[in-house]
Amino acid sequence: MRKNKKRLNKKRINKNPLVNKLAFTIVLFIFSGFAMLTVKNMDMQTLVISIAVPLIFLMSTTLIPKIFFADKLLLSLVNFLCSLGVLVLYRMDPAKGVNHAINYVVGLITMVVIMLVVKNLSRFRKLFPIIGLFSIAMLALPVVAGKEIGGAKAWIQIGSIGFQPSEVVKIMLVVANAYFLSKKKIFYSMAFTGMCLLLLVLQRDLGTALLYYVVTLVMMFVASGSWALLAGGVIGAGAVAVLGYSLLKRIGFAHLERRLLAWLNPWGNYKDAGYQTVQSLLAIVNGGAFGLGLGAGNASQIPVKETDFIFPFILNEFGMIFGVCLVLIYIIIFLRGIAVAMRCNHRMHSLMAAGCSFFIAFQTFVIIGGNINMLPITGVTLPFVSYGGTSLLSSMGMMGVIQGIASINKRHIMQDELLADIGEGLA
Amino acid sequence: MKNLRSMLRKAALVMTVLLLSLVVFGAYNVSTQGNRWFSSSANTHLRELKANATAGNVYDRMGVLLATTDINGKRVYNPDSNIRRSMVHVLGDRQNNVGYGVEAFMANRLYGFDTSPLVRLTHAIRGEKLKGNDLRLTVDSNLSSRIARLFPKDHKGACVVMNYRTGEVLSLLSFPNFDPDNITEATKQDRNRPFWNNATRWVSAPGSTFKVITLASALQNINNIENETLNCSGIIEFPGGRHNLLDAGKAVHGDISLKQAFTKSCNVVFGSLALRLGDAQLSNTAAAFGIGDYFLFRDFVVENSSYPKHNRTQSEIAWTGVGQSALQISPLHMCMIASSIANGGDMMEPQLLLREINPNNEVKEQFSPRVYKKALSKEHAQIISDYMYGVVQSGTGTGARVKGYRICGKTGSSEIDNQEKSNAWFIGFIDEENYPYAVCVAVMNAGSAGKVAAPLAGEIFKEILGVR
Repeated sequence: MRKNKKRLNKKRINKNPLVNKLAFTIVLFIFSGFAMLTVKNMDMQTLVISIAVPLIFLMSTTLIPKIFFADKLLLSLVNFLCSLGVLVLYRMDPAKGVNHAINYVVGLITMVVIMLVVKNLSRFRKLFPIIGLFSIAMLALPVVAGKEIGGAKAWIQIGSIGFQPSEVVKIMLVVANAYFLSKKKIFYSMAFTGMCLLLLVLQRDLGTALLYYVVTLVMMFVASGSWALLAGGVIGAGAVAVLGYSLLKRIGFAHLERRLLAWLNPWGNYKDAGYQTVQSLLAIVNGGAFGLGLGAGNASQIPVKETDFIFPFILNEFGMIFGVCLVLIYIIIFLRGIAVAMRCNHRMHSLMAAGCSFFIAFQTFVIIGGNINMLPITGVTLPFVSYGGTSLLSSMGMMGVIQGIASINKRHIMQDELLADIGEGLA
Repeated sequence: MKNLRSMLRKAALVMTVLLLSLVVFGAYNVSTQGNRWFSSSANTHLRELKANATAGNVYDRMGVLLATTDINGKRVYNPDSNIRRSMVHVLGDRQNNVGYGVEAFMANRLYGFDTSPLVRLTHAIRGEKLKGNDLRLTVDSNLSSRIARLFPKDHKGACVVMNYRTGEVLSLLSFPNFDPDNITEATKQDRNRPFWNNATRWVSAPGSTFKVITLASALQNINNIENETLNCSGIIEFPGGRHNLLDAGKAVHGDISLKQAFTKSCNVVFGSLALRLGDAQLSNTAAAFGIGDYFLFRDFVVENSSYPKHNRTQSEIAWTGVGQSALQISPLHMCMIASSIANGGDMMEPQLLLREINPNNEVKEQFSPRVYKKALSKEHAQIISDYMYGVVQSGTGTGARVKGYRICGKTGSSEIDNQEKSNAWFIGFIDEENYPYAVCVAVMNAGSAGKVAAPLAGEIFKEILGVR
């Protein structure tokens, strides 16, 4: 009886026909999208990429779970978002689309590597405190030798390659905090995150600082179960925001005030400070419920449409209903990540998976909220979709952490089953 | 681990709610304001979108064709230039110079952007242009062009006529107006801004017409105020002396009743009433009439009215009671305020669309009147209505009298800084079962309301009633 139940369980985990159907639908979607672009562009490059991207999708979604016990649903949804990003960016600018496709492949490889590292986490135990020091060193780099883009000094330029250390540190932040908190060393965690936040403020990258703060606070709350800590954190952040706003705008945070003004009254300043927000809202309503169609949109005026404002660009061509579906997909990815965290036997594993899931979900909330004028614009990217190598790699890396924990969980389940089988055999 | 899981569950729930709130916030904003964004002048794409569709016809309530599209896709307006001029602020023009005219604000219906994607797809495949829907408006174009002729030449201002039982707008005029078929460089450069819709987008102090609201507040908040004997000494003095409140023409009314004070439009009595009521009670009553509301009407984009919030000295409060200070109200909103008194306290939402007819000549949507809000009680509305009847019978508004009909009204001359003469306002209505119409006229820089606005309103009432 017990054996049958377990078998059933195993079957449910490993072979889910619904997920296969989902993956098939996604491939169809992506392929038809690229086919349309091929018909429109009529060149070799588009044809190649329109076959290559669905192929990457199919191979990664079928092979990775077979070899490494990854969660197939999570993988296919993330793959969908990445390939949607390639599709939309290719439609905007073929060169960027190709770049994003390359980043996507590199991202998949990063994901697998991080999965393998996480799977053998116990071997790296001695490294955890060093991760903390290393990430602080990374964040200090742009303060010393950074390059200013869009009001924030968060970039490092080495030769022709530019990257954002704060993106890379995202994963380290989660891992280090998970380590400290699993050992119940909450003050270590506070000191470490405080240091990171200070460096981010010095880089004037307040959007990322907000993400770091919220994710750490959630991890602390989950680990300690203390409501007082949560309340203190929220009130403290509010006080810092109010105080900081009046203080900071005097010392080089001029873009802050503009963003606040653009948030409160974008239509009153639609030619100036509110331009981004107004163009974003117009792109959404011009698209309507069903969109203007791929390649037929009129959202090319939105500033930074490749990164921060890719969401309204997508809605302009695919419609608001599609936008709602996108939000739902992010919710599913988030809840799936939380489900992985729930199944863990280890506090640290659980905190790592949860931290990464919250990171992706909260980043999505902040950027889409900024796009629809629910929140001020903070200049973070839409995970998996936005253009930008470092951002895609860090999102994929976080996915790798979740997938690694998922495969550990599966290993535990299979070990349990094996034991049960042996036990039954003995009986 | 168990505790961690339960905390995780709570945190995950909150995060999910946050993500879902994106959908709720977006859906709410798009459904309430999406059409405003879409048709705003910030939307430079509207013209491209319009090029892909053939707009439907626009008719007035009598069936007069106001706008249509010819075979070349050009928009054609009514051949009569008087009708074109009097309809231009309601209808809009080809270049979208007038903000939020029907041609822009109703583009969704008129150009068929609201038709189902299936229909749009079949049209796209067949290579046909999308055909929009026809609209039947509540306005009466002939009445409007007759009223426009009555308005004093070379003055800026606005004039609104609406049915106070249903909210249907019969006429909405802004002056100076222009001919959409003859827009010259001079029209564009005109400092009087003919493109601007003064009826909906111009907000200003409405002068003594605001005493209607002060009166309503006094009736609601002071017991037995109707039977009290009030005193007008001709002046309310304030420290400093610069902001003393005087009566028009330095009149001294002595001991009078509330009704007499209203009839004679006594500033001193209403200023001291405002002081007795206090800022909080007066602003509450103003809020009940929709001042300070964020207007999201289906058919009109109306500038929000506002009650002054800053620098509330005693003299400012007294001046607010007589409709001066920093009060800002649009003519359309003043017409709604008059309507709410005529309609037993129920303020109707201004309505412009009667019905939408699809290209197959079937009625796609029939629009019905909607109550916007309950502004005041039926009893108080009746009392104010009687007082307003007194104003027209024997007070400052005798110019609006029409023999044989019960006309109610209130005048208002508002002083504006750096302006030679005052703005002349009149709000009023015909208190007859068969003619449920309210009127608001505002003539800028014109002088006394009793001499300019009330006679103009009287002529408008005669046009509506068909009295010659």
